[in-house]
Amino acid sequence: MTWFHVRWGGVLLAGLAIVFLGMRHYQRELRAISPLQLREEAPSGTIRVRGLVLPGTLFPGPGPNEARFELEGDGSKISVHYKGGDPENLRELKTLVVIGRWDPGSKLFEAREIGVVPNFGFVTAAYLAGIVPVGLFLFWMEHRVAFLYREIRDQKVYEPGGDEG
Amino acid sequence: MIKQMRRYEGWFGVAAGLCIVSGLYFGLVGSPADYYQGEVVRIMYVHVPLAYTAMLAYGALFSCSLWYLWKRDLIVDNMCQAAAGIGAFFTAVALITGSIWAKPTWNTWWAWDARLVSFAILLLILIGYLMLRTFTEEKERAARYAAVLAIVGGIDLPIIKFSVEWWRTLHQPLSISTRGLSIAKPMGIPLVFMIVGFSFLFFYMLAVRTQMLYLTHLLEAKKGRLLGEVHL
Repeated sequence: MTWFHVRWGGVLLAGLAIVFLGMRHYQRELRAISPLQLREEAPSGTIRVRGLVLPGTLFPGPGPNEARFELEGDGSKISVHYKGGDPENLRELKTLVVIGRWDPGSKLFEAREIGVVPNFGFVTAAYLAGIVPVGLFLFWMEHRVAFLYREIRDQKVYEPGGDEG
Repeated sequence: MIKQMRRYEGWFGVAAGLCIVSGLYFGLVGSPADYYQGEVVRIMYVHVPLAYTAMLAYGALFSCSLWYLWKRDLIVDNMCQAAAGIGAFFTAVALITGSIWAKPTWNTWWAWDARLVSFAILLLILIGYLMLRTFTEEKERAARYAAVLAIVGGIDLPIIKFSVEWWRTLHQPLSISTRGLSIAKPMGIPLVFMIVGFSFLFFYMLAVRTQMLYLTHLLEAKKGRLLGEVHL
């Protein structure tokens, strides 16, 4: 095993660790569940729920930057009470993500943030298309350089320690 | 020069790795989503450094071409060829990632926009450069003609850079300029980390590819193909 293999083994392990941590971060922090999953799983802590704002259910108030509406997804619906910043993205018949806590007792989702539907597919595609080819290109070049040094050393053309080019 | 490249290239590789890993962490975990674009804005942390590195590679090609016409040194010519190959690669990848970003934000994979077209022209110039080198029989003449092409093609760099200011375009204006950062600090920090990391990566790749081209010449010389051209 050469230094080349050790180095690229390390790079591969680091890459796998980044992918693993990225997937874990996505599952824990970014993944949005449907109202049906929310009812079935009743998770605790801060949750992201993705669904459609049902028409005729959106009512502002009682305070400023507050609203009540029903969110539907996967054939199930939940009541949402929003209280947070200016809900500019909030519209009826719009699919969005609400971020907050689920109260299983009152069956009410207390949202403090509203976000647009995330397009993680495009983000993942861009990172894969941007970083994986760079890694492969570099690997191919380094592999070729290692091969050429070995070939030249075998043919006694070039001594790496003494050449100035 | 090859010996010095071998001695220092590792530092560039390590610096690139550290900056890129930090940039990825700050970009994917530490920075907020954009108010309008949402999570898609995170494509910026890979697309902008790729595009920047493509222009850095062309800048290196431009400088090395001037240096080659002055000195006529084989290793400088190898550096030109290396920068062109790396530049073409980064330009193509930047166009692909830009296209992936354009779809969710502009609702199209491609637009005949000044920035996009001038960047695609950069790719055509680099492909032309590499084709000229490949299909010209005499190596010294190929190097000379290619150096002239690279210098003339350098006019595309300021066009790319200022296209968003000179013409009305879909593409967003400059995020980093002499006037400073025009984006929020939590987004600017990972962007700077990634740009610095990709710059180190470019110099590392340039050192590796220059060695690759030089050693290929050397091996060919050993086999008697270019005996008169390489200083053994």
